[in-house]
Amino acid sequence: MTDTKHMKVAITRFDPDQDEAPRLQEYEIPVTPGWKVLDAINYIKDECDSSVSHRWSCRMAVCGSCGMMVNGEPKLTCKTSLDQYGDRIVIEPLANFPIVRDLVVELDGFMHKFRSVKPWIIRAKEQAEDAAELNEKGTFSQSPEQLATFKQFSMCINCLLCYAACPVVANEPEFIGPAAIALGHRYDLDSRDEGEATRLEIFRGEGTVFSCSFANECSEVCPKNVDPAAAVNQAKFAAVIDWAKNLVLPRGGN
Amino acid sequence: MAGPANPEAMAPPKPGPTRTAPPQQPSTWWSAPRIRNYLLFDATGIVYLLAGLVALRLVWALGKGPEAWQAALASLSNPLYLGFHVLALVSVVFVAVRFFSLFPKAQPKAIGPLKPPPAQVILIGLYAAWIGVTAILCAIIGGVF
Repeated sequence: MTDTKHMKVAITRFDPDQDEAPRLQEYEIPVTPGWKVLDAINYIKDECDSSVSHRWSCRMAVCGSCGMMVNGEPKLTCKTSLDQYGDRIVIEPLANFPIVRDLVVELDGFMHKFRSVKPWIIRAKEQAEDAAELNEKGTFSQSPEQLATFKQFSMCINCLLCYAACPVVANEPEFIGPAAIALGHRYDLDSRDEGEATRLEIFRGEGTVFSCSFANECSEVCPKNVDPAAAVNQAKFAAVIDWAKNLVLPRGGN
Repeated sequence: MAGPANPEAMAPPKPGPTRTAPPQQPSTWWSAPRIRNYLLFDATGIVYLLAGLVALRLVWALGKGPEAWQAALASLSNPLYLGFHVLALVSVVFVAVRFFSLFPKAQPKAIGPLKPPPAQVILIGLYAAWIGVTAILCAIIGGVF
């Protein structure tokens, strides 16, 4: 027989049609040992109050949908065990994001910033010219060493916990933020990509890598150990080196 | 309950069709040990500003002549000044240790054909340089050179 206990779960409620501002609503629910925070929210939605709105999907820390503030800390709720908390927890929407409804935040601001770093493989040549560099399977070859250079940064699931933790995001709205920079840097390090100069030009602009004060909060809360702070600060180095190289060799040495 | 954050934080480029509530941030941010460390790191800037003002005061006294200089030096033995300089020393050590711990991961993956040394080697180098420079400065101040 499982050892069920009761827990008070306070959840942010906000209905844009009725509420002036977000408020907390508390529910007392039975909790089974081993439950994750997401299980508690799902229980509340299924058994107590079907009007509670939240995002979730995979339940295995892959989709990045269920990021929320749990007792003031950004957490992936499907990965965060309830056992570590006492008799009461407070679940709020991710900090630093406009709130659409209850625990759901507005992501358009992030998507706009994300696109600005061109997070895709950029090739300088036309597709037909690229054919000469393809292997017999029609794909680009990449050695394990080349993959290891950027693999860590490609593990980002866009859960946006880093944005909720970053003190710069909280204070400088124009800052494009940790995940976007980490993914831009990921493509800069990819041996198949030829868009590094374009992205470094972006990184030298306003509200990008040099806005980061290296608080390291993004890396502390990252559930996938991506270490966005490393990416942002490596990108700082790369942007400075590229700038100095352009200063000394304005036409790339040609 | 969370408190208000910067109302423009992560705002979409164009407002959507639905009204949204402004961003929030946890009202308990100060109680998280990690954030507290970061705030302490930021607050050391105030200590450095004050240390700079003390240095400027000494320079100003130097310009006023030998008597003013000696008086300024004597005033540094005041317990308040001694306490402040202990605080400044603690601040410097705290910032250096924090910076050194983060520095290795900020290294570029490669500069041309050169790859950065392992993190432990970078750390040893940083601490060795710090101790070396401190020893040289102590030797100069102590009149060894």
